[in-house]
Amino acid sequence: MSARRFVVPGEEVASGRVKLGEGVYREGDRVYAAVLGLLDTSRGVVRVVSLAGRYYPKVGDFVIGTVTGTIYETAWSVDISSPYTAILNSSDFHREVDPFRVPLMRVMRPGTAIYAYVREVAPTKGVYLTMKQRGCRILKGGRLVEISPAKVPRVIGRKRSMLGMLTRETGCRILVGQNGIIWVSCRSTGMEDLVERAVRKIEAEAHTSGLTDRIKEMIVRERERV
Amino acid sequence: MKAGEPEEFIVDGRRLDGRRMDELRPLKIEAGVLKRADGSAYVEWGGNKVLAACYGPKEIHPRHEANPKRAVLRTYYSMAPFSVYERKRPGPDRRSMEISKVTRQALESVVFTHLYPMTAIDVFIEILQAQAGTRCAGITAASVALADAGIPMRDLVPACAAGKVGGHIVLDLFDVEDNYGEADLPVAIVPRTGEICLMQMDGNLTQEEFEQAFELAIKGCMQVYEKQKEALRKAYEKRSEE
Repeated sequence: MSARRFVVPGEEVASGRVKLGEGVYREGDRVYAAVLGLLDTSRGVVRVVSLAGRYYPKVGDFVIGTVTGTIYETAWSVDISSPYTAILNSSDFHREVDPFRVPLMRVMRPGTAIYAYVREVAPTKGVYLTMKQRGCRILKGGRLVEISPAKVPRVIGRKRSMLGMLTRETGCRILVGQNGIIWVSCRSTGMEDLVERAVRKIEAEAHTSGLTDRIKEMIVRERERV
Repeated sequence: MKAGEPEEFIVDGRRLDGRRMDELRPLKIEAGVLKRADGSAYVEWGGNKVLAACYGPKEIHPRHEANPKRAVLRTYYSMAPFSVYERKRPGPDRRSMEISKVTRQALESVVFTHLYPMTAIDVFIEILQAQAGTRCAGITAASVALADAGIPMRDLVPACAAGKVGGHIVLDLFDVEDNYGEADLPVAIVPRTGEICLMQMDGNLTQEEFEQAFELAIKGCMQVYEKQKEALRKAYEKRSEE
C-alpha cells in the first residue's frame, strides 16, 4: 500500500480550493481531518480514510443483514449492524410475495440472513433495502463473520484480488457486505473455520503490505488439515 | 489549620511533590486499550488512573430521547469505590452528575453530532484512582476514546487545571494542593481554535491571578494535547506492526 499519512481529528490536511471527500471538514480557507485515519489526496479529492467506526448506510451499497424479530404486515425490519435499522418492504423482495395471503413471517423468519441492496436512505434516516438487484438473495447455510466496516476494502482487495484469492484457494462461496458482515459457505465446517480465521487475520493486519500473499500461504498450509 | 494541612506549599521554589510551578504531573495516555468498546483510552496522570470507553453512534434507547437533527451524546462519569481513601459509595451522586454534564458539554462542542441524527453516542469515564483533577483527566481520556472509535470531531479536547496554593499560581494541582489550596481552575479547550469548552472555578482569585492561572492552564492543555495525539499515533503504529 502507498504510504498515506496518518492523521488525527483537527489536523490540517489541505488549504485553498480543493474538493472534499469524506472524513474532512472546511473552516475558513483551511481543511482539517475530522476522523482518525489515513490521508488520501489522490484524484484531486482530499479525504481521510477512517480506521474505525460503524457502518453508515449509503445508497448503492450491497449489505448483509439478518431479519429481526419485528416483522410488520408488509415489511421486514433488517439488522444491518448500523445505527439505523433497515426496512425491506415485501414489494422489494426478490420474488413476488403477497403479504395478505402469505404472512411475511412464513417467507423469512427472524434470523434469516439476506444479501440486499441499499435502495434509499431517507432524510429521517429510514433505510430501505431492496432485493431486486443482481445477486440479492436469502443466504442459506454457511455462517456470518462480522468485522469492522473500515476493513472491508482490505478483505475485497484491489480489483478484488484478496476476495478472488480466498474463493479460489478454498472453493468456498464468500459474500462481503459493505457493512462489515461476511457470509461464508463451504463444504465443511473446518473450511469455514479456516476462512473465518483468514478474515480475522486480514482485519487485524489490514495496514500491512504483502497481506494477500501471507493469507494465501496460510490457507495453502492449513487447508490440508481440514 | 486543619489536620493534614501542610505548613508550606512551596519550599525552595519547589512544590510538595517536587514539581515547579508550571509543571504537569507525569502524564501517560494510551488509546485503544479495550477490545469490546468501539473506542477507548487509558490515562495515568500523576496519581489519577482513568479509563474511558465509547460506544456509537448506535440506535438510541429509550426512543423518545432521539433527536431528529443530531446524535445525542451521553456521558457517564463514575468513581470506583476504591478510587479514594475512604470508600466511595458507588453509583451516581450530585458531584458525578455535575461532572458528567460539564464533560458532555465540553465534548459536544467538538463532535459532529449532526452527521448521525436519531442516534446515541455513549461515553463512559471510570475513575479507578483519584488524586485531584479527575474531571480534566476524564475529558482528556474521553476525547481520545471518541477519536479511537472513529467518531468525526473538529479536534481533540485536552483539559488541565491551574490554581492557587500558598499564594502562588501553579499548574495541575494534586490532592494536597487541591484540598488545602486557595483556588482551582479546571479548563478544557479546542486547541486549534482556542475556544474554551470547560471552565470552572473553585475558590477565589483576583482578576490578575485569574488571568495568570488561566494562561497557565491553557499552556497545560497544549502539553496534554500533544500527548493525546502521540497516544493515537502510537496505537496506530502498534496495530500496523503486529
